[in-house]
Amino acid sequence: MPDTAVDGDVLLNADEIVKHFPIKEGIFFKHQVGSVKAVDGVSLKVRRGETLGLVGETGCGKSTLARCIMRLFPLTSGHLTFDGADLSKLSRSQMRPYRRGMQMIFQDPYGSLNSRRRVGSIIGDPLAIHNIASGDERKKRVQGLMEVVGLNPEHYNRFPAEFSGGQRQRIGVARALALHPKLIVCDEPVSALDVSIQAQIINLLEDLQGEFGLTYVFIAHDLAVVQHVSDRVAVMYLGKIVEVADVKDLYSTPRHPYTNALLSASVVADPDKARVRDRIILTGDVPSPINPPSGCRFHTRCPKAQAICSTEEPLLQSAAGDPAGHMTACHFPVAEGEKLASGKATILHAVEGFLAEAPS
Amino acid sequence: MSLSTVDAAATTVPPEDPAVKGIEGRTPLQLVVQRLRTDRVAIISVVVIVLIIALAIGAPLIAAITGHGPTDTNVDNGTDANGQPLPPGSAGYLLGTDNLGRDILVRIAYGARVSLIVGVVATAIATIVGVVVGLFAGYYGGWLDSILARIMDVVLSFPYVLFAIVLVSVFGSSLPLTILVIAFFSFAAIGRIVRGQALSQREKEYVEAAHSLGAGNMRIMFVDILPNLVAPVIVLATLLIPTAIIFEATLSFLGLGIALPTPSWGNMLSDAEGVGFQAWWFYIFPMIFLLLTTLAFNLLGDAVRDALDPRTERIFAGRRKKKPA
Repeated sequence: MPDTAVDGDVLLNADEIVKHFPIKEGIFFKHQVGSVKAVDGVSLKVRRGETLGLVGETGCGKSTLARCIMRLFPLTSGHLTFDGADLSKLSRSQMRPYRRGMQMIFQDPYGSLNSRRRVGSIIGDPLAIHNIASGDERKKRVQGLMEVVGLNPEHYNRFPAEFSGGQRQRIGVARALALHPKLIVCDEPVSALDVSIQAQIINLLEDLQGEFGLTYVFIAHDLAVVQHVSDRVAVMYLGKIVEVADVKDLYSTPRHPYTNALLSASVVADPDKARVRDRIILTGDVPSPINPPSGCRFHTRCPKAQAICSTEEPLLQSAAGDPAGHMTACHFPVAEGEKLASGKATILHAVEGFLAEAPS
Repeated sequence: MSLSTVDAAATTVPPEDPAVKGIEGRTPLQLVVQRLRTDRVAIISVVVIVLIIALAIGAPLIAAITGHGPTDTNVDNGTDANGQPLPPGSAGYLLGTDNLGRDILVRIAYGARVSLIVGVVATAIATIVGVVVGLFAGYYGGWLDSILARIMDVVLSFPYVLFAIVLVSVFGSSLPLTILVIAFFSFAAIGRIVRGQALSQREKEYVEAAHSLGAGNMRIMFVDILPNLVAPVIVLATLLIPTAIIFEATLSFLGLGIALPTPSWGNMLSDAEGVGFQAWWFYIFPMIFLLLTTLAFNLLGDAVRDALDPRTERIFAGRRKKKPA
């Protein structure tokens, strides 16, 4: 698979990242009977200062990819370069100095904060682990961080349970900021929050990006959120990236049938527009990542699938007429204006048409 | 760019209202203490335990007041004219004397020392060892867990009285040996619970967060996971104290624990063997104190568990008797 064509200053370069989780059986003598292919050959480049959005269905390997980038577990194979350093083979203790440069914000603002520790000690944790500040100095810096993310520094001694979901996520943001990292991997940072709070956290993240020159890898399944925050977007399906493009190109001319389906499924705030637009409703479930389909992984659910799709895996490359940064892994990329067939959608339209004609 | 216009106002923190200060959050410890204070059973248990501790600490004082040491046979006035032991309420002997003329009250006070020391020290050792073993087994998993978990299973299924007989016959009975034997057979009870909790805690996202910050395994185990295990460990440790006290009494009763003439409630009971109904005060008083102490610790353990987590109902239901009241 060729590299995603990205020019400019590359901060993070993931090359053919593979993460398989072994499935073991047996009571006394465990033997491997298979593996979950959570991430199966992903190549990505993230430019310094940009926000790369990562979208895909639940279970497509987004979070696993995030943890691969953070090196929270060893990679099955592939190379990971961060700020010029090769991290792919480093042990846990060798990774420690590099963790100052990359931090993570977690999805669950409840589970990701230790409920038995005080907020001040949670946010101060990175400073303690990396021996940066202690005592009053640490307290001062933690309170400064709390102010930056919009928390009351006087709440230094409170427990996470005394905060709301949005405030907890701010605590997580403050903790990620403590080391002044270059890259922050946001693993669905707003999906557990109320919509009104989501906007606050997203604006906070955007403000911080400007203030501290941060680079984000932003994972979400909400396409509107991703469109709002990202400079570029990568679409994942079953452990693979199927399309990467600048946010404008991806949302205006999606090439991959899966991207089309995702976009057509997102909510449109205008009911009149929502009624007339075409919806591509995918049938069936996501296939198991233990035994992914041959060839193109999407062929089992793709409205455009042909014989070649089940035998030959499409490469991630630019389709004719697309800008260099827009790459699609599809044998038959969707042309602009092309309508994709969808059995269920037709029935839906028929029902809607019947209702429209019925005398009221 | 802003998703909505209310954000700017919402992100700024409102100034602290002095009137709100009144509902300042309480620490978990404050909450637990407050709940315990409203629990009548807990209060009574604590009072009983404090009295027994006072009895143990004040044992030399009692000996000084009565003028009888714990092992003094009081040849002059410890027995009646026929050489029979004195019943309770006799002059100078509140709880009577035993067949050698020793003051039972003084012996019970000194026995309280043995029981409490054994109960607390053995439990402390068992708790520390159990927590460390359980944390390592549960956090690391894999072959280390297999080995440690099997060791704990073996310890729990051991015929401990036979083991104690062998140990005592080799090393001779003594207080430190008694404590070590009890600690050895108790740590697995805590270790298994801690292991199970650590197994579930290590999958929590906060552990992953600590890892992503660069925390080492030791830090994650003892700074992040351990505080989450404090509640079950405190409860188990409180419930382990009476078990250890009974264990000591059992060993001493069998002559494997505290050696005569040093008094312990267990060997006082053993001394009373065969006296039947005539000299009932030989065994009734040690029994009452043993029962009071273990009951108080057990009820306190129950109360502490309820106070630590009012939502959870009887985690150890299978192991515990129903609370009377």
